Amino acid sequence: MKFGLFYEISVPRPWTRESERTVYENALEQVRLADELGFDQVWAVEHHFLEEYSHCPAPELFLTACAMITRKIRVGHGIIVCVPEFNHPIKIAERTAVLDILSGGRLEVGTGRSATWTELGGFRANPDTTKKSWDEFVRCLPKMWTQDSFSYEGEFWSMPERTIVPKVYQRPHPPLWVAVTSPGTELDAADRGLGSLGLTFGQFAEQEKRIAEYRRRIRHCEPVGEFVNDQVSTVNFLYCHEDDATGRATGRRMADTFNYLASQLISAREAFPSRSYQSLGLLPQLRRQATGPDAGEQAGEGLALGGPQRVLNALKRWEAVGVDRVNFLLNAQEIIPQADVLASLRLFASEVMPAFADSKPGNGVPGAGA
Amino acid sequence: MPTFGTLETGRVADRLPAMRDLDTEAWALPGAEILQLAFEVPRATAALLPRAMHPAIPPYATIWVIRYPESPVGPFTLAQLRLMGRAGAHPRGLVLGGVASTPEAATALRERWGLPVVPGQVTLTRRHDRITATVTRDGATVLDAGLVDPEPISGTDVQYIHSVTLARAPLDGKTGPLLVQVDSRYTLKRADRGRPHVSVLVPAAWNADPLRLLEPIAATATSSDTDLPRIRFVMDVEVPVVRGTRRIRESREE
Repeated sequence: MKFGLFYEISVPRPWTRESERTVYENALEQVRLADELGFDQVWAVEHHFLEEYSHCPAPELFLTACAMITRKIRVGHGIIVCVPEFNHPIKIAERTAVLDILSGGRLEVGTGRSATWTELGGFRANPDTTKKSWDEFVRCLPKMWTQDSFSYEGEFWSMPERTIVPKVYQRPHPPLWVAVTSPGTELDAADRGLGSLGLTFGQFAEQEKRIAEYRRRIRHCEPVGEFVNDQVSTVNFLYCHEDDATGRATGRRMADTFNYLASQLISAREAFPSRSYQSLGLLPQLRRQATGPDAGEQAGEGLALGGPQRVLNALKRWEAVGVDRVNFLLNAQEIIPQADVLASLRLFASEVMPAFADSKPGNGVPGAGA
Repeated sequence: MPTFGTLETGRVADRLPAMRDLDTEAWALPGAEILQLAFEVPRATAALLPRAMHPAIPPYATIWVIRYPESPVGPFTLAQLRLMGRAGAHPRGLVLGGVASTPEAATALRERWGLPVVPGQVTLTRRHDRITATVTRDGATVLDAGLVDPEPISGTDVQYIHSVTLARAPLDGKTGPLLVQVDSRYTLKRADRGRPHVSVLVPAAWNADPLRLLEPIAATATSSDTDLPRIRFVMDVEVPVVRGTRRIRESREE
């Protein structure tokens, strides 16, 4: 099992000139340490307009900074919103190629389509068509990275024949992932030979079922890229402390803060009824965990919060369920002091990581390499 | 922490509905026809939202026009303007104002659920290419709106957000402003979605100044069995809902 960091860049009010800069600088310091400690990846989201929850609209810039101050850690651009109003496919191909070059072939690319009216409405995107545009984009992207010249006529975008430069540094191309929140999206990932970048928390039994189905399905996939990425990644909170009770209490505060902020967002389904967003998705789950009947101990199932042994046990469960990678949120609204976040990372690396020492450096994805 | 509403409750206390008690019995309301129009609205609408609640990001409002063919007070049609927000972590629509098509319904809704409803003329008309609604009070049109170009969608795609009302209600021997949760159930039988269109909305008639409609979001028209439930939760108007919620009874059936 491999471990990574996952950044939303949550900035609490009041917003001052320095507050956003401080959150970014803290994140960069954490990434630098994580690289030294042997963490495998750092992911940064693309979100827009999500006040306090996520001030990370340009993850490629943050990840470039990460790449410049680290040596080994892989940089995960995830997820890129594959909706034409948000991102033009040519720009996606170009900027990911540059990031792959600058990072020396350490790029991972997550894809998705946004799940909030806050964002979709902000770009005046049509929620009905986001899955279709995502499908078009992910089928184009590997070709844009690898073909000498490329042209395309599609429903959502088109271009005449051009040579898209530069090309990605990794050969044949960086691993591709799909953000999975709603049940069923993991099957979309499997059908296309894409990694499952899970963004839900907890719930071993449910995740085990979905991972098993993903594994079964991807064996028969028609990959959109030049290789199959059959990795399953999930996201978790991390706060590891020598004293288990302190770790749990502090970590729980972080998780509650994150869930409460998430519950303020307007899910696509709440405002805009659409077949394209049939499932309730991530937000209602987080809302329940914030204040509903799932709050409390039950919501803590599988969370990496507490003393080293408790964290280790939780992650062993995830490993048994079939998860290949776990990416950790380290803070929310900076409620945990930076020194404590760094101490948590160090403790995790010294007391928990060795129990998963079979992890190998590199991306661990067959077919991709610098 | 997300921002909170900034309503000065004292400024609106005089016009709040007065509830008889918090022991309201449920009404079964079968065969309702529900038109909902959603629009984004200005941030200044935080001034209409109690300090206990968070504004939605971005702020938005829904216009609800519901025809109830059967009810304990006979058939009636009810129009409401709701400012959507968050009660703690939960999406809720604060009912700013309403008009019911019969005086009996208006009185019952004010007294039993604290809905800020007055009597008036309310129409809901289904045509081939649109579903329209009008509301008239004292001879003046205060709402003329509709759903344009309806297309069938699955009822499971529609999510109705529960309401809260701001009313004077008796609790612990005192009567004062409270937020009252009205969490109706819906069994949807048919649903259409289309574009929302509003040609007339007089905010003052809905206690809604400075609300203006900005970006249209979506419109739905559904057929549904629904209810007005027994009251389970009330909330302090001034204290964040996560700390100021009081459970009145365990279940709707109690």
